[in-house]
Formats: sequence, structure tokens, C-alpha cells
Amino acid sequence: MITVDKLGYTYPETARPVLREIDLNVPSGQFLGVVGPSGAGKTTLAQALAGYIPHVLGGEVTGRVEIGGLHVVDTPLPDLVTRVGMVSQNPFNQISGAKFTVAEELAFGLENLGVPRQDMLIAVREVLRRLRIEHLAERSPYELSGGQQQLVALGAMLVMNPDVLVLDEPTSQLDPAGSRLVFEALGELRSRDITVVLIEHKIERLAEFADRVVVLVDGELRMDGPPGTVLAAPELVEWGIGHTRFTTAAVRAGGRWPSGAALPVTLDQALAGFGGAR
Amino acid sequence: MATLDFYQAGRSRVHGWNPVTKLSLSLTLVVTAFALPVLWWPVALLVLVLLPAVLASGVQRRFLATMSRFLLPVILLLFVIQGLFYPGGGQVLLTLGPLSVHADGLLFAARTALRLVVLTGSFLFLLLTTHPGDLMTALVARGLPPKISYVVSATLQIIPAFRQRAQGILQAQRARGLRTDTGLVSRVRALVPLISPLILGALSEVDERSIAMEARAFGSTARRTSYTVIPDSTAQRLARWLMLLAALTAIALTTTGVVS
Ligand SMILES: Nc1ncnc2c1ncn2[C@@H]1O[C@H](COP(=O)(O)OP(=O)(O)O)[C@@H](O)[C@H]1O
Ligand SMILES: [Mg+2]
Repeated sequence: MITVDKLGYTYPETARPVLREIDLNVPSGQFLGVVGPSGAGKTTLAQALAGYIPHVLGGEVTGRVEIGGLHVVDTPLPDLVTRVGMVSQNPFNQISGAKFTVAEELAFGLENLGVPRQDMLIAVREVLRRLRIEHLAERSPYELSGGQQQLVALGAMLVMNPDVLVLDEPTSQLDPAGSRLVFEALGELRSRDITVVLIEHKIERLAEFADRVVVLVDGELRMDGPPGTVLAAPELVEWGIGHTRFTTAAVRAGGRWPSGAALPVTLDQALAGFGGAR
Repeated sequence: MATLDFYQAGRSRVHGWNPVTKLSLSLTLVVTAFALPVLWWPVALLVLVLLPAVLASGVQRRFLATMSRFLLPVILLLFVIQGLFYPGGGQVLLTLGPLSVHADGLLFAARTALRLVVLTGSFLFLLLTTHPGDLMTALVARGLPPKISYVVSATLQIIPAFRQRAQGILQAQRARGLRTDTGLVSRVRALVPLISPLILGALSEVDERSIAMEARAFGSTARRTSYTVIPDSTAQRLARWLMLLAALTAIALTTTGVVS
């Protein structure tokens, strides 16, 4: 569970706050999508949830962030990593460099936490299986494709069994095949008892996965609701976020989209609407 | 991917030895070779210990190729300089105009060369037969600070990855019409657009990489455990004690003047 209360944040040596008065409660197990234009503060918000702000990046935090009852600002990072994990955009930079095989790379966090070896073996095997990367266990993390590296980065977080996982545009630097690998893994997470915050500009994917979507613009939360409502809102175009192809098609279709029907954000909704109109 | 380490994978018994045993062997060879002022001692070490170990591990081709590449020029230079300019003098073996070759100089050169061969050969043997990850795991288990292990492991892996990226950028720029094949000036000019994305990328990545480490609880004060277990045996433990004893004996023999 995530509780964010009037969160504000200013980077070190800058004057203007990048996040302002953010209020956000995410119940356990929810899959939350976050959208917003470039520079809105999405990455900053993710880092504040994961505790990298302020523990690694410094700066000035106001308000409160709680993950499962732990105050993020007051809790040392090594105590937070078993509660919240984060996957960021660049797969290469998330590989620690400390280890020479994928299995060891996955175990690295557990080693640092002093987890007994027997438990590590079980946890690593389980994550390899869930992400379907058993065949990569003995490979060097540096020999993998970007998509595979991103799965390793995801696995390195999952192995610590966090309550919350924050993903910051995890496929933005991947080719289509790599993106597909990562989204398949996220689909698997949906069915788990883990709270997920997915920042994503491929909003069709959010429409597919998210239970709820919030919109961040210029450091403020401007919208919060079910994906079908939020992602079809006309403001999204004005804010530079855009719409799904399905929403755009229905808008352009004018009278051919049934009047009174909500604008579609998924393929199924579009088919249902256009099918009914025919 | 091209790597920075020397490791040559293999299934020999020597490959399976605990890295600390191999490190102890290397250190013992080097310490005794430098401690004992006896010309035949390094020769004995090479013939009776190092070469059999190299052959047993099947890495002899890489071993000989690397040794000759690194050492031949150095040894040649050593003989020329010490043979001609050794300050002590001694018997003159040969006179070439104003220059003369002294026996003492050649002896000194031979002694130094043999020690260099043992030094380089011992560590090359260690690196050829030991995976760097296993070496680091074994050393951390014996108290090497994890930060040092991290610096070594990351350097070995990230530098080749960066080199690969540099090639990628270069190729992309060639594809956009940048000429890099002709002339020094155009080559240097080609470096400029190559370096800026590389450096800018590397700088912005420092934060991300330190986050990646923190996110894995690298700053934790917990007593670390190890996923990988490096095999060891009573025989190897015994061998390590004996090697330590041998090294100490060699030092004692020399410092007390028993051997001179
Ligand atoms: N390390 C930093 N120091 C100062 N300002 C930063 C830093 N990182 C990001 N910013 C600024 O914070 C704002 C939000 O950035 P970011 O969270 O990366 O946005 P988004 O992920 O939504 O694109 C931007 O104006 C950006 O320039
Ligand atoms: Mg961002």
C-alpha cells in the first residue's frame, strides 16, 4: 500500500519544485498507471516512491510518502528495498556490474541483505521461472539483449519480494521484441499480490493493464480515475499525452461512433462500439 | 563481447582449484624467486612447478603467446642495457668499438629476467585458469572489502560494454556519411562527435549506476552472504599452509644470510 500526502520535492541546487502537493493512495495489489508529458515529474515521482529521493539524490522533500506504513524519508534505503523496488528506463545502467552471471546478479541484493544461501537459491530459481529466463541463468548479464536485461533488472527487484514495484517507462529504450518480453512479464505481475505503479507513454498498454490511471502535469496530479475514463479525456491531447489509436478513431469517426457511448481505449471496446454502429 | 580478463575456460583439475590456492601458489613462486639469490631457483620453479601446472590446465598456447608478447621486448632491452652499461664491470666478454659487454651485467640481466618470467608467468597462470568472478567471490569470502571487488568486476565488464557502445555510435555516424577511413585529420575530427555522446552518456549514468547499487542494498550493514560457493578441500588448505611456510622459509634463509 502506498500513501502519498501533500508531497513536494525540489532538486538540490534548484529553486522550483518539480513535484507539488501530490496526494495519492494506492491500495495493496492495485495496478496504477501514470501518464504525463515529458518533464512533468514522472521519473521524479517514481524515485520519491522508491526512496532514491531523498536517500541517493538529495533535495528537499515536503509532505509524506509511506510504503506499507514505513516513512520513506525516515527509513534507510537498505530497509526500504524489501518493501519497494524500481525498474527504470535504461536496462544497461541497472545491471550492477558486480556479478558475472544472471543468477548471481539476481542474488546480489539478497547477498547484501545477508539472506541465508538456501533461501537465496529458492528465491532466485523462483524469479527465473516466473520471468521465464531460466535459460539465461548462467549467461553474462552484459551479453543479453536490452529486453532480457530489463527482465533481469525486474527480477533483481522481485527477488527481494517487495510489496510495491515502480516501473518508469521500462520499455522506452527497447525494440518491439524487447518491449513485448517486458509487457508479458508485467502481465504476469498483474495476477500477483503486488502493488504496481507503471509510468508509461504507450497508453494503449496502460489501457490493457491498469486498474486506475493518474495524470501528472507540471508536477501536479490533474486527473485520477479508471483507465477508460482518464485515457479518453479530451485534456490528454491538450497536455501533449495524446490518445490511443482507438480513441482517436472514434473521435474522427464522428457520427459513426454511437452517441452516448464512452470513447474506447482498447481494441475490444472499439470493436464493440463500431460493431454496434454498423 | 571482447573481455578485459585473461580467463580461458576449461575443465581441468587446475581450473577447479580454489582461486585462493592458485593465488597462494603465485605469491609463493614470486616471493621465493625474489627472496632467494640463487640463479637456478627460478629455473627450477619454472620447470618443475609453473610449466607442469600450465600444461595440466591446457592453457599453454595462450600462456606462451602472452608471455612472449609481454616479456620478450623487456628481456631483450634488459640484456642490452645491463650487458653494456652495468656499473660494476667485471670480466669483459666482447668489445664493440667504444662499448664492451661485461659478464657481471649479463649475469644481472639473466637473474632479473628469470625473476620477471616467474612473476609474470605466475600471475598469468592464475588469471588464465581462474574466472575473475570466482576470484572475487573467494577473496570477499576471506575479507576483501566488497567495494574493491565491485570496482574490479565492474571495470572488467563495463569497459568492454562501453567500447562496444563507442563502436555503435561510430557506425551510426558512418551511416550518416561521416568519413572515418581517410587521413589523420578526418579521423581526429570523427572522434569529436563520438566522444561527446559517450562522455555525456557516461556522466548522466553515474547517478543511475549508484542508484542501481543502492537499490540492491549495497550500502547495507548486514553480514553479507554468498550465493556462489567456491569449492575447497582439506588438501588445498594444507597446501596453502605449506606454501606459506615455504615463502617464510625463503625470506628467513635470505635475511639471516644462510643463502647468499
Ligand atoms: N537531477 C535533476 N536536477 C535538477 N532538475 C532535474 C533533475 N532531474 C530532473 N529534473 C527536472 O525535473 C523535471 C521533471 O523531470 P522528470 O521527473 O524526469 O520528468 P518526466 O519523467 O516526467 O519526463 C524536469 O523539469 C527536469 O528538468
Ligand atoms: Mg522520465
